[in-house]
Amino acid sequence: MSRPVGSGERSLIHHGATWTSWATASIWAVSAAIGAAGLLAMAAGLVDLFGDGDDTAALLVTGGSAGLLAAVLAVWVRPPVRIRHADILCAVTGCLILFIVAVAGILVVIEPSTTLVDAFFRAATLGTTTALEVGPVDKTDYAARFLVGGTQWLGGIGALLVAVAVLPFFGAGREFADRSRRGGRRPMAPNPSRAARNLAIVHGLATTVTLLGFLVVGMDPFDAVLLAMATASTGGLFSGGDLEDAAVQWVAIAGMAIAGTSLVVLWRLGVGRSRNLLRSVELRTYLGLLIVAPAAFLLWTDGSGIDGIRRAIFTVTAAVTTTGFPMSPGGTWAPAAPVLLLGLVSIGPMTGSTGGGFQILRHRILMRVAVRELLRQLHPRAIITARLGGRIAAEDTLTQVVVTQFLFVSVLFGTAGVVAIAGLDLATALAAAVHATSTAGPVRTLDGSLVDVGLWPTTARLALVPAMVIGRLSVYPAIVALGAGTALIHHRLRLGRGPRAAVSPLSVVSPVDGVDR
Amino acid sequence: MNPLSRFPFGNCWRNTTASVLGMALLFVAVGMTAATLVALVDGVDALALATATGITALLGAALFHVATPGSRDVAAIFNAVGATWVVASVLGALPYLLAGTFATVGRSWSVVLADALFESVSGFSTSGSTVFGAHNLIEAQGAGILLYRQLTQWAGGMGIVVLVVMVLPALSSSGLGLIDAEAPGMGVDRLAPRIKATAARFWSLYLGFTLAVAVSFLLAGMGPFDAVAHALSTASTGGFSTKDASIGHWDSVAVEGVVVVAMIIGGASFALHNSALRERKFGYFRDSEFRAYVAVLGLSASLITVLLLGDQTGMVRAFRSAVFNVVAFGTSSGFSNATGAGTTGDFAAWASGPQLVLLLLMVFGGCTGSTSGGVKIMRLRVGMGHAYRTLRSLRRPRALLPVRLGSTAISDSMVERIAGFMVVYGLLVVAGTLVVAALGVDLVSSFGGVISALGNMGPALGEAGPTASYSDAYPTPARMVLAVLMLVGRLEIFPMLLMLVAPYRVLDGVTRGTRIQLRRRLR
Repeated sequence: MSRPVGSGERSLIHHGATWTSWATASIWAVSAAIGAAGLLAMAAGLVDLFGDGDDTAALLVTGGSAGLLAAVLAVWVRPPVRIRHADILCAVTGCLILFIVAVAGILVVIEPSTTLVDAFFRAATLGTTTALEVGPVDKTDYAARFLVGGTQWLGGIGALLVAVAVLPFFGAGREFADRSRRGGRRPMAPNPSRAARNLAIVHGLATTVTLLGFLVVGMDPFDAVLLAMATASTGGLFSGGDLEDAAVQWVAIAGMAIAGTSLVVLWRLGVGRSRNLLRSVELRTYLGLLIVAPAAFLLWTDGSGIDGIRRAIFTVTAAVTTTGFPMSPGGTWAPAAPVLLLGLVSIGPMTGSTGGGFQILRHRILMRVAVRELLRQLHPRAIITARLGGRIAAEDTLTQVVVTQFLFVSVLFGTAGVVAIAGLDLATALAAAVHATSTAGPVRTLDGSLVDVGLWPTTARLALVPAMVIGRLSVYPAIVALGAGTALIHHRLRLGRGPRAAVSPLSVVSPVDGVDR
Repeated sequence: MNPLSRFPFGNCWRNTTASVLGMALLFVAVGMTAATLVALVDGVDALALATATGITALLGAALFHVATPGSRDVAAIFNAVGATWVVASVLGALPYLLAGTFATVGRSWSVVLADALFESVSGFSTSGSTVFGAHNLIEAQGAGILLYRQLTQWAGGMGIVVLVVMVLPALSSSGLGLIDAEAPGMGVDRLAPRIKATAARFWSLYLGFTLAVAVSFLLAGMGPFDAVAHALSTASTGGFSTKDASIGHWDSVAVEGVVVVAMIIGGASFALHNSALRERKFGYFRDSEFRAYVAVLGLSASLITVLLLGDQTGMVRAFRSAVFNVVAFGTSSGFSNATGAGTTGDFAAWASGPQLVLLLLMVFGGCTGSTSGGVKIMRLRVGMGHAYRTLRSLRRPRALLPVRLGSTAISDSMVERIAGFMVVYGLLVVAGTLVVAALGVDLVSSFGGVISALGNMGPALGEAGPTASYSDAYPTPARMVLAVLMLVGRLEIFPMLLMLVAPYRVLDGVTRGTRIQLRRRLR
């Protein structure tokens, strides 16, 4: 059990008993989601003043109200001393889903012609940084364009929070966090609150560097901001300036490569602990992928010359980092080229980055588990450990990664099944499921051309949303939330009434309530 | 008494692999002899089959005479099992090569060789993938070759090594390891106190089951040759047929009914059959794996029937096609009831939803201790239990939560082994798909082909549907990759992957002195 930020503090406006862990986490999730959406709406409203400003008033009112509500909810909570890990994971999932719903609402406000399903799907692809585009955004609508970029950026930050500040402390991947203070080191994530602060700094800096790069190559400042947000978040949805421009593409390649790098690596570079950085097998694998994969991709496409090489590097980097900027194929693609991109998308970038996919470190752990199993076959009674970075990996870590893989594959096939039943052909259904679970767009046909997701049946698009959410949250929190939801329903059905927390979140007086007993 | 004992060099080579391989080749030669006799009656390919029999028997006898079982550690056992399957599959291609089965006009010798190897591997591994097609019809072949083809599947179904253990007294101490390495599933059930008796019981059950299926086919209206031939490939859940349209040739409910029931029985554990027959205990539905197996087949068939209703002409036809194909995929048999391309039984013409269900069934496979391929229901259940336990432990970090199968708690070491197997399986699927796609195959055909090969299924999705030929769907190098994966899948991965460890150790031991001397000189 850890003690999260704010737990045990007294509420400013409520002076009763402390709340249960479950209720506290839920209200925090609602507050965070509504607050983020409100801030986004207000910023979009102000940005709209650069254009015709017709949405400014509506967005400011909506955003302001949402912000106010979020603030009230935040100060209303009276948290218990301890909050269960599972409740935090459920809250994270709930927060992302609520954020998506709130953004969908804002999209409907500024684009009344958009249907609710389209708005929800677009909000989901933006919030989860998946970039499965449904129709282009009007280039003169500044508010909508900012909303697209801003939602992706917040989605990216959210993913980082989950990967660096939530999962290592409240769920899985304890070994992935930079926590050790030995030898006078300055760890990035010694505790959840410090991790959150540091990641905001590093991610902000990465975005700024990318933005400066786009400005230097002569991009329009507003377009540069939007593209930097789409790049740093590995969102990949951008409707504005010319993405085909060579200089812009080189900057985007560098930006995507940075976005796919672990924040811990960037942090070490920043604090001057870069001496042994290249000893990291994960970093070397990531860099190797960025170098070798474009060569293989070039082999299977008929691109040639510096232009062909740049397009290959851009497409492959977009796939490895799961950014997925849509780019039509330059020439004829061999059948292996889209399969390679699909493979790269599912591998993903480094753990602790904004990218999706299963991520390199987890793949490495799986390889270790596989090798260990082979050795175990030869020496059934031997105690064989798996090493990561020179240290023996904890059994818990190995188990969690194996289980995550099992769940990842299950979600992938489940999604592909629903999408296929909804009417897509098998290749597209499988590709769509891989992209959704890895939070990477765009889906391509077998010849490499881009698929227009807007033409898909509504059921197919809606079926992709859970996969995107699960993928964005690195599987665990969403599955825990699903399990908690199922348990709650089961409990209600069995007892004919809800659990105590569901009846009244304020009814429990014990200060230690919420501890798993 | 050993009839070869009069010859020199008897038992002069202590090597388990050579010993097991010698006996296994003799068994393969027995199968070839049966096919030769049929070919003599038929008057086609008799000389080719007789020559192949002679070569195989000679090699087998020589190895059996010279070698005696040596080291019985795990590496040696994996080497024995892996090498036996590889060599038997390679020599099993001889009848096709000598009879010129695949030497059609315009084909190079390398393609003919590759096709013969592929068909042989597909037979022994009970995959049922075939390179016969419109360019080279199955029905144009002689009865001898056709029977030989079916016999390879029958031998592969229960396992050649199990047969060897049954007759080689010197292997009694390492017999369980050998059977374990070859048999599908998580360890073999000991059906009798002695290993030899266990192997004999497996084979007697298998033989009895095959005979019962053959009689059922006869009663359902098949001719005697076809009945025996199909019984061989049905009991082994192989899927080879003597007709180009497979079971669809008969278009008969009775024949399909027999195939479906036989496939379901073939996909269930033989330990359960043993218990039902010998101990008179009908314990099928007390076994949690069997219940799950039947539930998976039932649910899949119902779902596909519903999904097909929109496309098919009638409920009965949809149900018939759904049940047949679900059982064929769920037991990794791979028979087809399509009467032609685009007909109701042709799953390649179905919508993508039902096809995806079939793809999942290819991964699932049947029960442990059966003749079917795939990951197996028990492993999947343990995998799901493991995932559920890990998630529950987040809510209850201090609780001791065992993974259960029915009422039995599974040990943590077993859970880890199964999780490790599934990881290796997943990595093989991904790597195989990438390699096959790199050889010029589209996503669905490469993914479906790899899963089909690893699950010993037979037909795959995409270009390799039930009415298609593998020689049209995959280029020759891709077919070779799939053939390797078939063997890897048949032996459940590890024996094939680790078969070279024992020779490596020997080589390492032999060259160690030289390497040390070299190092000293270099210093």
